[in-house]
Amino acid sequence: MPQYMLLLHSDPANWQNLSPEEMQKATEKYMAWSKKPFTRDGKRLADDLGRVIRSENGKPRTTDGPYSETKEILGGYYTIEAANYDEAVKLSLAHPHLELGGTIEIRQVWGS
Amino acid sequence: MVAHLTRLLGSGNLQLAEETVQEAMLRALQTWPYQGLPENPTAWLFRVAHNAAIDAVRHNQLLGDKTDALVVELSRAAIPVPNDPDIEEQLRDDELRMIFMCCHPEISRDARVALSLKTVGGFSVREIARAFLADDAAIAQRLVRAKRQIRDERLTLDMPHGTELRRRLDSVLDVLYFMFNEGYAVHEGDELIRQDLCLESLRLGCLVASSSITEPRVHALVALMALQAARLPARIDEAGDLVLLEDQDRSRWDPHLVGLGFHHFDRSMAGDEVSEYHVQAAIAATHARAADPQSIDWPVILYLYDQLLAINPSPVVALNRAVAVAKVRGPAEGLAAIGPLLSDPKLCDYYLLLSVRGHLLLELGERAKAAASFRAALACSCSEPERRFLRRKLGSSALESSAL
Repeated sequence: MPQYMLLLHSDPANWQNLSPEEMQKATEKYMAWSKKPFTRDGKRLADDLGRVIRSENGKPRTTDGPYSETKEILGGYYTIEAANYDEAVKLSLAHPHLELGGTIEIRQVWGS
Repeated sequence: MVAHLTRLLGSGNLQLAEETVQEAMLRALQTWPYQGLPENPTAWLFRVAHNAAIDAVRHNQLLGDKTDALVVELSRAAIPVPNDPDIEEQLRDDELRMIFMCCHPEISRDARVALSLKTVGGFSVREIARAFLADDAAIAQRLVRAKRQIRDERLTLDMPHGTELRRRLDSVLDVLYFMFNEGYAVHEGDELIRQDLCLESLRLGCLVASSSITEPRVHALVALMALQAARLPARIDEAGDLVLLEDQDRSRWDPHLVGLGFHHFDRSMAGDEVSEYHVQAAIAATHARAADPQSIDWPVILYLYDQLLAINPSPVVALNRAVAVAKVRGPAEGLAAIGPLLSDPKLCDYYLLLSVRGHLLLELGERAKAAASFRAALACSCSEPERRFLRRKLGSSALESSAL
C-alpha cells in the first residue's frame, strides 16, 4: 500500500495557554492516534530550527532554517499507509494536531 | 506536581513552579506522541520539571546566594516511582499544604477559590473563567494579585497550629463548599467543567478528610458533596431537561459515590460537633436512604431543616424548609411558611421561591394564581433548563384551568 509522510507543523505559542489538565488530555489523544493500525513510523524532531545548506555560486552556505522567518516549527513526522491521497487526508483529519491549531503537510512517498 | 515544586522552590516562587510544570507537560505533549509512553510517565514528568526548575533557578539572578543550595536540593529531590508509599505520602502532604496556603484568610475568597483550582486542581485560567462566568482577564488578574500577596506577605506552606489551624480548616472547607456549589448549581456555563468542579472539590475534600488534621465536620462536608454528586447523572434527562429530586430515576445515581457518602457520613458522627455540614449531609442521606420517592422520610427532613435554620437562619434554608412543611403538613401550611419570604428583598425575585409557590398553589387547585406565580418566576434570571421547566409548569397550570 502507498505510504504517506505527515509533516506536523505547529506554532508553540498555541500550546502555551493550555492547562496541565488540557495538555494531558491532548497528549492522550495524540497517543491514541499514533497507535492506529495505519501508522508505520513517527519521530519527534528537536525544538531548534535546524540547519539548511544552500549552494550559492557553487559554494555551500549554511544557515539556520528553513523556517526562521515564521513562528511555526516542524515538530515531528509520521509515516502512514493509505490507498490514495483522499484516504490519507481523511485519516489525518482525525488528528488532534488540527484541534490545537497545527498544520499537517501530507506527501506521498515516491514509489511506495 | 505544582504543590511538590512549590515546596522545593518556596511559596514565593509559586509562579515559577507553575511554569516548570507547564514546561514538563508541554515536553510530554511534544514527545510522547512520536516516541511512545516512557516506562514511568510520572517520573519522566517530575524529572523534566526538576530540570526545568534547575535551569530557571540558575538563570534567575534574583535568588542570589540561595541559588546553589536550591539547585542541590532540586537535583537531590526524590523522583516519584510508582507504588512508593513514602513518595505518595509526600505528594499528598504537598498538596494538602498547598490548599491550606491557597485558603489563607488574608487572601480574598474569590482569589482563594481561583488559586486552589489553578495550583491544586490543574484548571486553566480559561476553564476557571468559564466555570464562574467571568472573563479570562479578570481571573488572570485575580491570580496574579493572589500570588503577589503570597510573596509579599510571606505566606508559606507551613501548616498552622492550634486555633489558627481551626480557622484555616474552616476557610478550606468554605472554599471547597463554595467550589462544589458553583459546580452543582444549574446555571449557564459549560456543563462538563461544572462537573469537573464538583469532582475536584470532592477529591480535595477526601484529601483533607484522610489527613491527620481531619475533624468530624470535614467528613460531614465530604459526605454532603459525595451524596449530592451521586445525583448528577440523574439530574438532567435525555432531553437536557431538569428533573426534580423527587422524580429522579434513582437507578441513575452513582452507587460508588452514594457508598462514599455514607462512609464519610458515619465517620462524621465521631464526637459531639454538629456543624451546618452535618445537618445538610443528614438531609442528603435521608433522601439517599429512600428506596423510591414515596418512601422519603419527610418528617425527619423537616426536623433537620428546623435544626439547619437554627444554625443558619437564611431565607434560602427557610424556603427549603417550607417545601418539607408542605410535604408533612400539606400545601396550605407550606404556602403559609413561604409567606414571610415573599417580602424578603433578597428573595423577592428568586425564581425558585416563585416556582415553589406556584407548585403549592397548583396542588391547592388555585390554577390562575399558580400560573401567575410561574409567569413571575420566568421573569427572574435563571438558566435555560430551568426556564423550560417553568414553561412546562406554566403550560400544565394553564391547561388545567382551561379544562375546568
